[in-house]
Amino acid sequence: MHAARNVALCTKDCLCLFICPTGATDTETGQIDFTKCLDGCRLCVDACPSHALYLVFDRYPRKPAKEDKVVEALESLLDSKVAQEALAEALARSGSAGAKLAKALAMSNRILAEDCAREARYMLPQSEQSKALLRQLAGQPHTGDFPAEAVGKLLASL
Amino acid sequence: MDERTYSSGALSVICSNLTKACEKQMRPAEAEQFRTIGTYFATQATKSEAKAFADLNGLIAQDLEQGYPQVASAAEVAGDRGALRCMTWGKKVTSIHKSVLARYEKQGDALLAGNNLFVCEACGFIAIAPTVPELCPICKAPASRFVKI
Ligand code: SF4
Ligand code: SF4
Repeated sequence: MHAARNVALCTKDCLCLFICPTGATDTETGQIDFTKCLDGCRLCVDACPSHALYLVFDRYPRKPAKEDKVVEALESLLDSKVAQEALAEALARSGSAGAKLAKALAMSNRILAEDCAREARYMLPQSEQSKALLRQLAGQPHTGDFPAEAVGKLLASL
Repeated sequence: MDERTYSSGALSVICSNLTKACEKQMRPAEAEQFRTIGTYFATQATKSEAKAFADLNGLIAQDLEQGYPQVASAAEVAGDRGALRCMTWGKKVTSIHKSVLARYEKQGDALLAGNNLFVCEACGFIAIAPTVPELCPICKAPASRFVKI
């Protein structure tokens, strides 16, 4: 568990710089230096007058699995949104008038599809379901440019 | 629920969703790995040959008449309020797609003249307006969550 900063809320130059025992709050990027931040300390989070600091966690709870019927309904919508994103992308590529509108529709459908995926099974990268999917992908035959290394790294770190 | 096999398009979406989750958790290395996998599946996904906006109408109607009502009834039985939230936002945004496409069919590019297009990255709402909305009318996200197209 370590602190993170919402740079848009931070009003700069104040209490977190004074209170942090390690200097983790004082960086050229505006973000907390996670390597210096002490696990569970949270002093800066309580000190910040602008509510710009918060905690990010290393561990997340195991969530109850969703009902099968809910998952099925959400995933069939997911497939429909994926198809609509592909349609909108084709229209955006065609360079026709309205390509901008097509681009907006493609992006919107991507967000709708992601929401279905998240509510169905894949809210947390650390969940058993996400890891099961990664293992399934790792075990499948793929074309040469399949990023097996990224899948392996995720399975090792999540 | 058993494992299932997803299309490449669906896998690209699942991975981009998990990319965003890792970014929110401040895990940039994992975000990048999910992005790489998602990009791979996006290139593997079937490309559409659509030529007209009207090609979208059938799927939009199907979502509004069947897809979202099915989520609603399953989620109500299960008491799944997360799925109900997803259904409520998604159905409204899909109705906006329908009305935007109907207006575009009538007015053509005049609909966009003098306007910009903004997409809410929280719920997908599309705004056609000169300036960015202060608040998303669907999910109440602030202006900072809108992306200008
Ligand atoms: S949580 Fe503690 S160690 Fe970490 S940045 Fe804040 S004050 Fe510094
Ligand atoms: S205490 Fe809060 S407002 Fe002040 S510099 Fe730190 S993060 Fe910014």
